[in-house]
Amino acid sequence: MAVPMEYYLLLSAAVFCIGVFGVLTRRNALLFLMSVELMLNAANINLVAFSWHHGNLTGQLFSLFTMALAAAEVAVGIGIVLVLYRNFEDVDVTKATTMEW
Amino acid sequence: MVVEYAYAIPLFPLASFVIALLAAHFAPDALPKGGALPGIVAMGGSLALSAWVALAVAGGATYDTTLYTWVGGADLSFTFGVLVDPLSAMMALIVSLVAFLVFIFSLGYMNDEGETGLPRYYAGLSLFSFSMLAFVVADNLLMAFMFFELVGLCSWLLIGFHFREDGPPSAAKKAFLVTRFGDYFFLVGVVAVFVTFGTGQFAGAESFPALAEAVLAEEPATTYFGMGAQTWFSILGLLVLGGVVGKSAQFPLHTWLPDAMEGPTPVSALIHAATMVAAGVYLVARMYGFYLLSPTALAIIALVGGFTALFAASMGVVKQELKQVLAYSTISQYGYMMLALGTGGYVAAVFHLTTHAIFKALLFLGAGSVIIAMHHNENMWDMGGLKEKMPITYWTFLSGSLALAGIVPFAGFWSKDEVLYEALIHGFGSAGGLAPVYLLAYAMGLLAVFFTGFYTFRMVYLTFHGDARSDTARDPEPVRWNVKGPLAVLGIGAATVGLINMKPVAELTGAHIDFLHKWLLGPEEGGWPALTSTGLHHYEVLMKDVAGIQSAYPLGETPTLLVSALVSLSLAVGGVLVARSLYGGPDPVEHTDRLGGMKTVLMHNYYQDEYQVWLAQGVTVPLARAADKFDQGVVDGVVNGISSVSLFTGSRFRRIQSGIVTNYAALMTLSLVLLLVVFVVFGGVVN
Repeated sequence: MAVPMEYYLLLSAAVFCIGVFGVLTRRNALLFLMSVELMLNAANINLVAFSWHHGNLTGQLFSLFTMALAAAEVAVGIGIVLVLYRNFEDVDVTKATTMEW
Repeated sequence: MVVEYAYAIPLFPLASFVIALLAAHFAPDALPKGGALPGIVAMGGSLALSAWVALAVAGGATYDTTLYTWVGGADLSFTFGVLVDPLSAMMALIVSLVAFLVFIFSLGYMNDEGETGLPRYYAGLSLFSFSMLAFVVADNLLMAFMFFELVGLCSWLLIGFHFREDGPPSAAKKAFLVTRFGDYFFLVGVVAVFVTFGTGQFAGAESFPALAEAVLAEEPATTYFGMGAQTWFSILGLLVLGGVVGKSAQFPLHTWLPDAMEGPTPVSALIHAATMVAAGVYLVARMYGFYLLSPTALAIIALVGGFTALFAASMGVVKQELKQVLAYSTISQYGYMMLALGTGGYVAAVFHLTTHAIFKALLFLGAGSVIIAMHHNENMWDMGGLKEKMPITYWTFLSGSLALAGIVPFAGFWSKDEVLYEALIHGFGSAGGLAPVYLLAYAMGLLAVFFTGFYTFRMVYLTFHGDARSDTARDPEPVRWNVKGPLAVLGIGAATVGLINMKPVAELTGAHIDFLHKWLLGPEEGGWPALTSTGLHHYEVLMKDVAGIQSAYPLGETPTLLVSALVSLSLAVGGVLVARSLYGGPDPVEHTDRLGGMKTVLMHNYYQDEYQVWLAQGVTVPLARAADKFDQGVVDGVVNGISSVSLFTGSRFRRIQSGIVTNYAALMTLSLVLLLVVFVVFGGVVN
């Protein structure tokens, strides 16, 4: 028996909101990255769910692209976190405020 | 054909200018006589070439060519060219002759007197001659304007030659500013002529006088900006006349000229006789075909001329310095030329321009000789008795004075008589409002003859006659050949140049000896007048048909001519005799006190300077200050206000740039949410 569409969407929305919450409240740059991953994956869930719903493979294909993108993003993100640590001896994003007015 | 090389006439002095300038900078010792020799050679070249060109023109040659296109366009192009016709050929000859003699005279006045800065002096003099000659041969109004301005610049350079003293720089500035004021109108006029006709050419079928004439003949009548064509042409003519009034020192812009006496005397001779001041009158003669289309402009020219002639002559009566008397005589004599041009006496004006160039150059050089002898004391009350000590100067100066006073048979008599005669017969004959204006101008011109005779011979008696009144006058410094030579040449000229157009004699004897008239008339059919449309025939037709100037002889033709000559001659002789009775004795005294309150007014030049200074300080300065306030307060205020508002808002807005990534993320999220809310509220369609 098929799971109704609404459940997928609710799950996706919940994961996305957790991601947004993480971005807005966490100070650790690594947790930032993880929250971003959560948001990306929420989008992936949506894509796959609609793909299944419409019987069309395009959405699944897109989710593969998103995963590749996420991998690249993590690589860059980790690099930034490393540089952040080297310069500020911390991974707290609220301390790296030299780009202010 | 030699006329095709006419462009070289101004190039000679330009070359000597460059030589004087470069040599003064790189090799000051290599320059012979401080630059005088290159100048003399160059002016000699110009003189020879312009004489040659004049001979070719006498043989019927003319030349009107565009040599260089500065800005070319479909509708409008600015060009430089050369126009050689009898008028410009003759003027070039006069200018180069006077300039040549002035260069030679400068050897005595500047070099022998041990002046410093001679290369600067000769460079200025060369540039002056160059600009005037280029102005004379200019074939269009824009080129004429540019060299007109250059002439003004050169006068500034030369009047202020002794820039370390107090007077000359201020006089130079005044000359520059006053003539610039007139030139401002001239510039507007040039632009207006170009806009109206699309060309500034002086001669030929495509020239602006010819086009204007065609417009007037058109049916239905053309209008410009809602004005009739003739009204518009009057405005154009009067705008250009602004420059003429400034340069030719006509009332009310004459005030710069007496002050310009601060310059070295040879410069004064050049300015007054052949270059700067002559430029204005020459310009009117050059575009005479245009002025003839506008009776209004002609009436104003005549009135300004007649008034200036009398006005300046009356001021010359009380002056104590030799050069001041001559300065006012110049203003007065140029008034006569304007009077002649205004009353349709084209030949008379050109004639007087010629004779005046000779005798005024002579008088100034003679005054220069006296000034050398008097160790640069110019006060006539310190002179006296110079007749025996400097005979050549005396006799040549006397020749010039007789010419200036208008005593037969010296040059000035013939030309001044013709000016007044033309004014008289046209005053009687012309239709409408022109007649009273011409007669009024004639009356003022006639009265000025008396004053001219008086102040001229007051000057002669005070300077040369009687007993010496100071030690320097008792033992004057001798002058050399380089002073006497030019004086002798011009002295003979002042006595004889009137012979080129002895109209009364021609009328009496029936002999065709009015050579100048023929020179400007050209052949009846074809020839140069048909090519350039600057011939006298054409002008006479315009005078009758468009301007409405007619001749009438109240006593019959020959008697009127003789009576007019006799009246002006007797007035001139009367002036001379009055001067003789008042100042002719061995020990003359001042009689100016007898004028009473008039003396003060005359001594202050009718308070012309005062009122002009008041205009500048009392009107222009407050006006400028108010405009400045408006500019600083309102115009700049708006601009500054806008910038300070954006500065302020910018300084507030940049505070959202906190540098904390979380804040940015929050802002983005909130904005997105807000956008979504808007979408929801407006149903997903935002118009």
